[in-house]
Amino acid sequence: MAEATLEIVDASAGYAGRIVLDAIKLSARKGELTAIVGPNGHGKSTLLKAISGLVPVTSGEIYLDGLRIDRLRPDQIVERGVIQVPQGDLLFPAMTVHENLLMGAYANSDGLAERLDFVFTLLPKLKERRNQTAGTLSGGERRMCGIGRGLMAGGEVLMLDEPSLGLAPIVIEQIYEVIFNLRREGRTILLVEENAERIAEHADMIHLLDNGRIAWSGLGAELMARPEIVETYLGV
Amino acid sequence: MDVLIQIVASGLTLGAMYAVATIGLSLVYGSLNMLNMAHGAILTLGGYICYAAIVHAGLHPALALLAAAFVCALVGLMIYFSAALPLLRAENFETNIFIATIGIGSVIENLMLKGFGPYPIPQPLAVDGQVVIGNVHIPLQNVFILGVAIVLMVGVAILLQRTSAGRAIRATSMNREAAQLMGVRVGRIYAQVLALSGALAAVSGIMISSIATLTPVMGGDPMLKAFIVCVVAGLGNVYGAVVAAIALGLLEAATQYVLGVRWSFATLLLLVILVLIWRPYGLFGKQQVVRL
Repeated sequence: MAEATLEIVDASAGYAGRIVLDAIKLSARKGELTAIVGPNGHGKSTLLKAISGLVPVTSGEIYLDGLRIDRLRPDQIVERGVIQVPQGDLLFPAMTVHENLLMGAYANSDGLAERLDFVFTLLPKLKERRNQTAGTLSGGERRMCGIGRGLMAGGEVLMLDEPSLGLAPIVIEQIYEVIFNLRREGRTILLVEENAERIAEHADMIHLLDNGRIAWSGLGAELMARPEIVETYLGV
Repeated sequence: MDVLIQIVASGLTLGAMYAVATIGLSLVYGSLNMLNMAHGAILTLGGYICYAAIVHAGLHPALALLAAAFVCALVGLMIYFSAALPLLRAENFETNIFIATIGIGSVIENLMLKGFGPYPIPQPLAVDGQVVIGNVHIPLQNVFILGVAIVLMVGVAILLQRTSAGRAIRATSMNREAAQLMGVRVGRIYAQVLALSGALAAVSGIMISSIATLTPVMGGDPMLKAFIVCVVAGLGNVYGAVVAAIALGLLEAATQYVLGVRWSFATLLLLVILVLIWRPYGLFGKQQVVRL
């Protein structure tokens, strides 16, 4: 079994005294695609924010390659290679695509040109749009730009929060093609997705998050073989 | 023709001073959503520090200008650490910091009153001579002010557009959470912005006092006009603020010539009202165009 890259040990987190995540225990292993599925509003995005240091972890620990990171500032967590592509992209709308990509490399600008080449090769549409302001991109292009910006950071762990949200089916296919390519290249990916069917075949491990707790963990095929879980939690 | 040259020369000088006074205010609002009511007092402090550095410490005027900018940058940092940082952690930041900076401004003003007295003092940083265009004599001081303002505006534009630190400032002003996810230490950005704003206010204060006089309350009028420029341009829009400042300077100079000095401020206020009715988000603070 691969060495654990990101390990969350009984972590609880929340906002202003309200606990959203309750004793979460999971790990994202090196070079694997780990998926978090579950209904809306049950803590999936909060989990990524807690890992990124945007939401305080009130108890438990989070480790990256054995190093505790849950007491670090968001910028320190990024410097250690944990990169998040947030839900809704959160691009810098008045900046060009190129500037957005440069912001991705803000914490680590080593090999900037090579990384830019890599992103433009993987996402050629961004090269065409490099001088266009991000606020004028289409939904799919914005998502590509968000992923490209995340890749520019050159991090160890890439966390993607619902990359298919609000996109047309054909664009979702393109986005997932990119994600699965990254996984094949050996990137460690932690993916939040509402639609379990979409990632069941490709994910190395799936965790079902319900009401701030891990309700079930297993392989994608195992999840799809449990219709009662899929129906109850995911409404498929 | 001579009248036009005179209006343009006066208007550009006024506009350049307003622009430098406004850039810092606009940067701070754009980054922190903070209306810094101590801006006028910092601007005045810059003028007094320059005066003291030249008259009492015997420094060269260029060094005195740098010293004033440095001290006012430190005041900006002090405002960040003593007021903005603790208030950012609590609710209602925008209201609380508005009130807190009124208090800080009042303290700075009273310290200047205590230290330098209430009477007007001439600013020793002055350039003698004049430029003659046609029949119009333009004081070299005005040309100097315009030159310094242009250098500062170009410098700020290069900082914001061409450097990693500038991109981080713009990113933080557009989306704080996204900037944090890129590894930007937003607290440090806020401190840098307040320090930069303080330094720009100092230079603005020196320029304004060099064509008027130094008094402890001289910052009130330029701060009010800087707010007018900010509102007309769109709060937080730095480039729009520069254009609006120049335009308002020209308008003010034209109004003073055509209608008289007493109508100039009223005209600016009327303009603000019209802009707020027509475009509540300011002339350049256009609503974000985002495809859905």
